[in-house]
Amino acid sequence: MAGSRGPLTDFKILFSGAALPLRCEKRGRIMSKELIRLKDVSMSFDGETVLDNLNIYFNDKEFLTLLGPSGCGKTTTLRIIGGFQRPTSGDVFFDGARINDVPPHLRQVNTVFQKYALFPHLNVYDNVAFGLRIPKWAGGGTDISAKREKVKLSKGEIDHRVREMLEIVSLKGFEHRSVTSLSGGQQQRVAIARALVNRPKVLLLDEPLGALDMRLRKDMQQELKRIQQQMEITFIYVTHDQEEALAMSDTVVVMNEGKIQQIGTPEDIYNEPKNAFVADFIGESNIVDGIMREDRVVEIFSRRFACLDSGFAKDEPVDVVIRPEDVDIVSEAEGQLRGVVTAVTFKGVHYDTIVDFYGFKWLIQTTDFCPVGSHIGIKIDPDGIHVMRKSKYSGMFGDYSSYSEEYDEINEEEAGKEDEE
Amino acid sequence: MKKNGFGGRSLIGLCFLFLYLPIFLLIIFSFNAGDSSAVWRGFSLKWYGELFQNRLVLDSLATTLLVSLLATAISTVAGTFAAIGIYSLSKKLRDPVLVVNDIPMMNADIVTGVSLLLLFVAFFNGWGSIAKWLNSWQSLIEFPTRLTLGMGTLLIAHVSFNIPYVILNVAPRLRQMDRNLMEAAQDLGCTWFQAFYKVMIPEIKPGIVSGALIAFTMSVDDFVISYFTAGSATQTLSMTIYGMTKKRVTPVVNAVSTLMFLAVLIVLVINNIRSNKQAQLAAKRASLQPVRENPRVERFREWMGTPRGKLARRVTATVLAVAFVATTVFLTAFTTSQPVVNVCSWGEYIDEDLIDEFEEQTGIRVNYQTTDSNETLYSLLKSGGADYDVVVPSDYMISQLIEEGMLEELDYSKIPNFEKIGERFRNLPYDPENRYTVPYTWGTVGMIYNSSMVDEELTSWSALYDDRYAGQVLLIGNSRDAFGMALKYLGYSLNTTDPAEITEAYELIADAASRGVFQGKVMDEIFQTMEGGNAAIAFYYAGDYLTMLENNEDLKFVVPEEGSNWFVDAMCVLKDAPHYDEAMEWINFIASTESNLRNMDYIWYASPNEEALEMYPEWYEEQYGEELDMDIYNIMAAPQEVLDRCEMYVCLPKSVRTLYNDLWIKLGI
Repeated sequence: MAGSRGPLTDFKILFSGAALPLRCEKRGRIMSKELIRLKDVSMSFDGETVLDNLNIYFNDKEFLTLLGPSGCGKTTTLRIIGGFQRPTSGDVFFDGARINDVPPHLRQVNTVFQKYALFPHLNVYDNVAFGLRIPKWAGGGTDISAKREKVKLSKGEIDHRVREMLEIVSLKGFEHRSVTSLSGGQQQRVAIARALVNRPKVLLLDEPLGALDMRLRKDMQQELKRIQQQMEITFIYVTHDQEEALAMSDTVVVMNEGKIQQIGTPEDIYNEPKNAFVADFIGESNIVDGIMREDRVVEIFSRRFACLDSGFAKDEPVDVVIRPEDVDIVSEAEGQLRGVVTAVTFKGVHYDTIVDFYGFKWLIQTTDFCPVGSHIGIKIDPDGIHVMRKSKYSGMFGDYSSYSEEYDEINEEEAGKEDEE
Repeated sequence: MKKNGFGGRSLIGLCFLFLYLPIFLLIIFSFNAGDSSAVWRGFSLKWYGELFQNRLVLDSLATTLLVSLLATAISTVAGTFAAIGIYSLSKKLRDPVLVVNDIPMMNADIVTGVSLLLLFVAFFNGWGSIAKWLNSWQSLIEFPTRLTLGMGTLLIAHVSFNIPYVILNVAPRLRQMDRNLMEAAQDLGCTWFQAFYKVMIPEIKPGIVSGALIAFTMSVDDFVISYFTAGSATQTLSMTIYGMTKKRVTPVVNAVSTLMFLAVLIVLVINNIRSNKQAQLAAKRASLQPVRENPRVERFREWMGTPRGKLARRVTATVLAVAFVATTVFLTAFTTSQPVVNVCSWGEYIDEDLIDEFEEQTGIRVNYQTTDSNETLYSLLKSGGADYDVVVPSDYMISQLIEEGMLEELDYSKIPNFEKIGERFRNLPYDPENRYTVPYTWGTVGMIYNSSMVDEELTSWSALYDDRYAGQVLLIGNSRDAFGMALKYLGYSLNTTDPAEITEAYELIADAASRGVFQGKVMDEIFQTMEGGNAAIAFYYAGDYLTMLENNEDLKFVVPEEGSNWFVDAMCVLKDAPHYDEAMEWINFIASTESNLRNMDYIWYASPNEEALEMYPEWYEEQYGEELDMDIYNIMAAPQEVLDRCEMYVCLPKSVRTLYNDLWIKLGI
């Protein structure tokens, strides 16, 4: 199956409904064999659609992140790959073979669960050895009809692999500790070791860092990336934390309302969001209405700005994304736009400054302090402007009129409730 | 806030005293050397000894253990899976289902019992035709066409009331369990079932164990539901105790109750210790501190992990499993070996060694049950739940049973000992041609009085209605006897059907009652009251008087000059008795001179076997090396001139029975 595809299609991003146009990616996805493919997969619970005609593939040795807000279907996608849920319609292929009917225990994937799901009655060693002690069908594979011998690993082999894995996750010496006596980060690493020790082709991670505090999360992000590279296997990672997604992934898949919004490298996703949803979800964005006057010229607030985008119809209404950090504050006279500072928050590295432009509030991140009430001008370089076609999300995001300091925290709390279904 | 220390504490003390005093009394009196529950005769373990030789108790203990063990095992498995099923439901469905699960536990036992009985009886009624139809087209398995209540129905009933308790205990463990655990195990290569026993079982084990313990105690403890579903041939321990107390609370009951109390206490203590430990463990887990266990426990755990430990674990598990199976098999064999005869009699109405002897001689197992009155027996037979072979009703009840066609004629050729039954005990009014009965005992009703409280020698029933003994007289608790003696006093027949005469008798009693002559209405409480000297005069059965005399020598007995009732209890066989031939053997065995002698000696009721009756004084001397007090003998076996004064009850017509009933209710003492 994989062989039949041309090299070009490898870069092709399969969109739901094919409604969204393609963009040339600056840095393509890792060129390697396709491992998993979801074809026209839909899923609904009690008549409520959770996944809407999803098409996506996963390459070997890729670190792919499914990113989206609560209820976007990312965990469901993961569970379909893990075999815990069967899609309402559509097919799941693994290495070219359809695996819709293959139960979880016969799939060559392993999962790290959201709350680790360690076995409390077993110690660290026994938790990690759990999978190895279950006799497996020889040669792995997912064909349940074939009659093959079940293989039981020798004690020595199990011991060797468990100890090796504990070393990889830096838990040497913890073998006989009760898992309930470990810290969150340690439990997390046991969960990863328990999954990886089975040498799966794909590791599924369902918000594995969600329960850890900020610092630990940062450390674990690097740790996970290191492990993935060391083991050379595919990681499919689910998170609602865009920072995490950008920091770790080779490929990010942004999802919302059961549909894929955009697939691309972290840089693509950040710099060239496909629509207002993606622009808003990934990082901070000011999204304003604009009109494409000609190639590389966009009009905002009746002022023309130079940009790098082209290929739009003349005078086409568009959404314009301006990242808060791409705006330079200059004196009122020098500014392309003039506004009044209405709020300033100190964030450490920079100030979050809210500026009112003709009744529309922008967020600007700057190292220069401008007191509330000061009149300022701004300048935007052409590469700081990103033009998107209008979508159903237009006008829904990117306005900082209701911005408050607690904004971030509220966001995080809501995201924390994600995927408890 | 200042605590009111003294008042509060003494109130708590009083509460607990109120709760535990009865149990302490029970335990203390189980060690009483005497056989009264009112008089302390010194410390003794004899009742415990007697308990372990009482076959009725041992039989029912075996039944109880078998049913409880099986019911616990079945309901634990079923309940655990049910709980898992409930937890796989959506939350919208799960909560209502759990509420539905709670209802049977809150429901009155009696409702559960009666409804199960109804279900079984309805099923049995339908079963006959189903079985016939099944047998008609296949010969592989021969289905019995007649089913009765018994061990099977008892077990089903216990399983059904135990399951909710298991679910109730397992459900919280499932709720606590991380729902991803099962998926994690499957993800690591387990099939659902492997995941179930490798992960879920260890996780919910504490819930399963406490569910099983509670199910077991509930099973052992249950009386009401068992009473309705066990049928006639099966008795649990609590039913046996109930049967024993109907006659009188003997210290054997105290002993067995004490043991039951201790057994339940032990189970409770074990359960509490376990849940305490779990709470500690959970607290430690929550605090994320390394769980530091007792080093010895830890070493033991480690040893368990070694191959030797594993072997030991497996051996232990195997031994336990084998023990369980063996116990079950043994108990099953013990309770169901063939052939059998099902006998229903009164409590304390046989020398139980006779049962053992009969079993040894014939190889027939005797299923010996008891009920407390003719009326209870009648309603049991009517309900269709009973499958007795031999019953021992009293005269008037026998005539009613014959009238209603509920008895089978006896095959007297198989009862050679019938010859020895005296002429005067044959062809009595209740069975004029003597086709249905072999008399078991006979006796008289007379007046019992305490000579230390009554100065004169009483000879007339008038004492019962005499103001001089106001508040000291006990009225018997059944209408037939109460009105009967009043009729005799008035000079009428016991069996009169004249409403005027009966009403006159009623007025005699009502008048005395209004004057406060009667202390109360009693049946078997009479033993305690009279032995303890708490009442002066009562009337009751001669045999029971002799039992009371052993505890209070001041008591006297007289059959008043106006005459009294004399009665015969006789063995009969029920229509369609499943073990007719065995029943004949049993009746013949009991009718023998030897059996009659020993029964007479044991229960103090006179024998209808003339040979035994004559031999008894001589036999007594041989046995005990002292002469029999002829006064006692004459009370037990009233001489003919006394019998001539007495009348036997016959079955009254329905209208008269209704009149009796109405007047009795109107009397309302």
